[in-house]
Amino acid sequence: MTRSLLSLGVLALASMALALALGSVTVSPGDLWQVIQGEGSTLHRTLLLDLRLPRTLAAFGTGGLLAVAGALMQVLLRNPLADPYVLGLSGGAAVGALLAMLMGMGTLIISGSAFAGAMLATVLVFGLAHGTGSWTPSRLLLTGVVVAAGWGAMITLMLAITPSYKLPGMLYWLMGDVSYARSPWPAVVVLAVAVVLIMPLARNLNVLARGPMQAAALGVSVRPLEWTIYVLASLLTATAVTTAGSIGFVGLIVPHMLRLILGNDQRIILPASALAGGTLLVLADTLARTMIAPEQLPVGVITALLGVPTFLYLLHRSR
Amino acid sequence: MAFRGLNFRFALGLLTAFLAHPISASEIQRCAVDDTGKKLCLAAPAQRVITLSPGATELMYAAGAGDKVMAVVNYSDYPPAALELPLIGSHTRVDMEALMALNPDLVVTWVTGNPPAQVELLQELGVSTFAIEPRTFAGVSSVIERLATLAGTEPEGFDEAERFRVGIAALTQQYAGVEPIPVFYQVWEKPLMTVNNEHLIGKVLKLCGGVNVFGDMQRLIPRISAEVVLQADPDAILTGSVDGVSDDQLDEWKKYAGLTAVEKNNLFFVPASPISRPTPRLLDAIQSVCGKLTIARENLARARDKMESARENL
Repeated sequence: MTRSLLSLGVLALASMALALALGSVTVSPGDLWQVIQGEGSTLHRTLLLDLRLPRTLAAFGTGGLLAVAGALMQVLLRNPLADPYVLGLSGGAAVGALLAMLMGMGTLIISGSAFAGAMLATVLVFGLAHGTGSWTPSRLLLTGVVVAAGWGAMITLMLAITPSYKLPGMLYWLMGDVSYARSPWPAVVVLAVAVVLIMPLARNLNVLARGPMQAAALGVSVRPLEWTIYVLASLLTATAVTTAGSIGFVGLIVPHMLRLILGNDQRIILPASALAGGTLLVLADTLARTMIAPEQLPVGVITALLGVPTFLYLLHRSR
Repeated sequence: MAFRGLNFRFALGLLTAFLAHPISASEIQRCAVDDTGKKLCLAAPAQRVITLSPGATELMYAAGAGDKVMAVVNYSDYPPAALELPLIGSHTRVDMEALMALNPDLVVTWVTGNPPAQVELLQELGVSTFAIEPRTFAGVSSVIERLATLAGTEPEGFDEAERFRVGIAALTQQYAGVEPIPVFYQVWEKPLMTVNNEHLIGKVLKLCGGVNVFGDMQRLIPRISAEVVLQADPDAILTGSVDGVSDDQLDEWKKYAGLTAVEKNNLFFVPASPISRPTPRLLDAIQSVCGKLTIARENLARARDKMESARENL
């Protein structure tokens, strides 16, 4: 089991090395080595240390965050469709960001507003699903889906009334793109802290995945655990969306792929999701940067184009 | 006299040289304020320029500094020489690596067109950026002069700015007394979009004696319904197309035979690229718009005459 995590870690490092080595400007391995040693020309240092490295880290952090958030949601709702995007968290973040853009705010406020939007979406979905009655996964999922549709409508409304010169920026933000990431550190730090914090809970999550009754019977305090998961997943999603806009799909597909290969043990799935999600987004972003350079593609296109066939293949084979 | 004059000038020159000496460092600097109000000073004329919008490319050439442009973004198709330049992505998604690899000493950005995150990153990396987006005719001449100042091509740039200024003044005078004509300018067909009077296109219409039926709307580029166009019933409808060639963009209106513009055959196409970019080619745009509106007035007058003669015959 630790061996699969180790190989995922090696894969992650390899993908990051690849991302550093490739770009629209060719940097020879010799020059690469010089920069690593702290030498090299100013241009190569700028390319590698100021452009590629932060972007690679941001991609890794974002991918990892989305995948872990997806894995958590799927356990919480015991529904394979669950994903931060399906539940309207990214919708709330997008509404927050677009609202700030509409008011002509700077990038910092846009990020803050996106974060506030995601957290508001969390409170809204959780509060509404809670209601007066019981708090069932299907009810939570339904509430999330409907609230997500509401966010979608608000996004459409804002796009419709936006001055057309602001539209390109907004649309590109909705597509999700690591090239707009300002600093990789929030994503990377939140990911690392979240994985460390969640590991002691992984055993309880395994029990919860079998149903709340069983979990309660086995002495797991279900309600606090569920709250923790939900808030944590929201925090992860908000950080991811704030870093790189809304990149769908990673959160849904990475945990499933891993489950098909590694089995459904959260002690493995959660750290594996962080590594594999990060790797997927790093590879996808490298392709997005280089495929038709100097033209740049939004990374969401690549994750979907790479992920869909891979996922369908795994699903087909597993039967 | 001439000799004395020369002498005097020589003395004055010497004096200035002396006076200038202590502040020469700041005098060599070339400074200009961009369209966001930010002041940029360059220690030497910009020699390696990258433009992040098709309009900026065109303006650099207008400023006489076309040969200093090293790379451009997509759709930089004017002047034709710009098509030969290397691309560094699109205005919404710039290939930062390719840009940095060219080691530019000036990047001309687009205030509302480029992603703020990428422009901020450029500034953090120590690249000199100059954001432009002229919204008036005077703004076009001024931006040409400012770019010429930064590139050290003042003679060509200031000449071109003056040519544009004189051209605008001449056209303004030429069309000053024409009969006002209600006009609808269609920016986009689906969704239906137009411009208000603040937009440069609105200003072109006004110069030609066109009365923009949606000129008072709040937004620069309002989205409207076909109903309000029918209600406004403009005498002429204009839209931009590739090279001003007729296409199907205005076919929708032909359904409404009662619309004055349709009835009088006043549906016109003007070349889209000159009218939609804030560059000296606006002079061409004004000429084509004014020409179309002149035809429109003739069509209206002819219909009016026909009606009057019909009435007399009764």
